[in-house]
Amino acid sequence: MFLTPSDFQVGIFFVFSVLSLAVALFIVNSKNVFYSAVALAFLGMSVAVLIADLDPAVYSLYSAFHLILYVGATVVFLSISLVMFRGLEVKEVRTPWAPAMALLSAVALFAVIVLSTGPIATSSVSIQPLNLAIIGERLISQYWFPAVILVIALLTTMIEALSLARRD
Amino acid sequence: MNSIVIDTAFVVATMLVAIGIYGLLNSKNVIRVLLSSEIILNASILLLFSLSSLAGKSYTPLIFSVFAIGMALTEVVVAFASVILYYRQKGSLEVD
Repeated sequence: MFLTPSDFQVGIFFVFSVLSLAVALFIVNSKNVFYSAVALAFLGMSVAVLIADLDPAVYSLYSAFHLILYVGATVVFLSISLVMFRGLEVKEVRTPWAPAMALLSAVALFAVIVLSTGPIATSSVSIQPLNLAIIGERLISQYWFPAVILVIALLTTMIEALSLARRD
Repeated sequence: MNSIVIDTAFVVATMLVAIGIYGLLNSKNVIRVLLSSEIILNASILLLFSLSSLAGKSYTPLIFSVFAIGMALTEVVVAFASVILYYRQKGSLEVD
């Protein structure tokens, strides 16, 4: 009769699934790329909610990270930078074989997912509880090299953004 | 419940990849191509977490996704620098 918390969780998941698909369709079909870039922020938010809804106790931290860094930094940078351009209207180009190719790749990807996840039984595994200390320890001990590369990449990005902002 | 959510996440991620590929193939605008690749990036992150949720290993995808988001930020800035240079050279955002 009454909705349980798990029904509520499934309901939220379906709502944001539909929302993310609708926003993605808007991004690829909108005639103005500025609106597409703004819509990308909504896609990022929807994906963050979907990730958190998969397992709120485990993934909510990453969901917040996705919102802050991806939606807050990347998409805002993209949207604001687009203001620099004139003529943001996109000419209509229809590639006749694009829908067939997209459908074919989706079917192939789904087949790979089904075949590769078939032997895994969902009920037999329990997800570890989130522990920030373990994540920090792993970042320093196991993943120190990619972390250094990422830091260097972000630093060079900052220098690049500064040089782009200069008027010549 | 969890099984329904994970199965739906797989379907949503697959459909997002299809939409992204459709956008990549159907546009000649550089920025639209970049935005389509961002849709595929979001789909891949959702897929990574769904697989992690299914397999019960929570830390590895979390760390990978942190790197993925950091690299996505770098990629957007580098791609945008290229777009600006392209625009200065050609005066248009359309690709041949």
